[in-house]
Amino acid sequence: MSERTEFWIVIFALATGTFLLRSLPLWLYGHRPAPRWLERLLRHVPAAALTALVVPASLYTKTDGVYELAPARIIAALAALFVALRWRSVVATLATGMVVLWVGQALLGG
Amino acid sequence: MILPDMACSHGSAAVTGAPVHVLPSRIRVTGGSPVSRTRESLIAGARSVAPIIIGIVPFGLVAGAAVTAAGLGLAEAVGMSLLVNAGASQIAATALFSEGAPLLVTVGTALVINARMFIYSTSIAPVLAPEAGRWRALLGHPLVDQSYAVTMTVGRYRDDISLVPFYVGSWLVLAIVWQISNIAGALAGAFVPASWSLDFAVPLVFLAMLVPALKFRADVEAAIATGIAAAILVPVLPMQTGLIVAIVIGMVWGAARHHEHPAEEVDV
Repeated sequence: MSERTEFWIVIFALATGTFLLRSLPLWLYGHRPAPRWLERLLRHVPAAALTALVVPASLYTKTDGVYELAPARIIAALAALFVALRWRSVVATLATGMVVLWVGQALLGG
Repeated sequence: MILPDMACSHGSAAVTGAPVHVLPSRIRVTGGSPVSRTRESLIAGARSVAPIIIGIVPFGLVAGAAVTAAGLGLAEAVGMSLLVNAGASQIAATALFSEGAPLLVTVGTALVINARMFIYSTSIAPVLAPEAGRWRALLGHPLVDQSYAVTMTVGRYRDDISLVPFYVGSWLVLAIVWQISNIAGALAGAFVPASWSLDFAVPLVFLAMLVPALKFRADVEAAIATGIAAAILVPVLPMQTGLIVAIVIGMVWGAARHHEHPAEEVDV
């Protein structure tokens, strides 16, 4: 089997599995009412998922699978958090975080 | 201003009895035509992800460059992005494949990275499914971190849009920008210097979206529990599983605390 064929097998297997993961709950929804405990759990998914995506990316840089604390990112994320809480603007949060990160990297070297 | 003010999306947009002329100008009241409402909802969804697109360019470049670096071609890079539509898992699968990992390990690892989408789908289903009808299973494909986030934190609180086209519109912009940067990466390698750290734009936008998602004290506690768990677990658990474990810890903590303080709103 050529390398190309093998990679297409990976693509199709991954595409099928990923489609099932994200479609099954949508497809099955409404077949019977969701139990209350499930509703209670799911209520906090947006807060939990967004935090899980933000925190590691704000604390560490990852090179070749190794995580290292990144002081410039931590400072930039805290500045951005302050702006997000105070003004609730995506653009201002993004701009503050990037500028503080660049300044921090210039001063701290990383 | 690219994105509607998030605080405003809970408040003034939902004012029902107000005369039209006092509504902010960006919230247009359509004449009731379903076609124009669908189009405006698509555009609103597209606009809602505008701040994030700069951040996905580096990932698209890396994903495309990884495919050609593994000795494969443009067709594989484009095909993978169209069919899989989940960047982190694509980069991981390509890396494992080029290291000669068994196919089962390659696919299994990438699927573990995508397991969070099962939680997203379960969580977004009550919001999207009632509007979607019999083809709703197809709405799984556009479910990525960003389209989930804007639909759950912004879109569903706006009563001037239809949610399904809003959701699809947000994804279309992401998919187009991703595909362009993916192709550029496949053709030219990842040419944006890593020192620009443009990848940091993605967590920053998620951070801005997190704030309006913290409505109740239990949400704040769920976020803190998730944050602590993610900080500790993500670097040590293999295959990005720390992400899923952290989300589950936050969900469970939030649900338990919500029970004790059912309706305590916070002002964050």
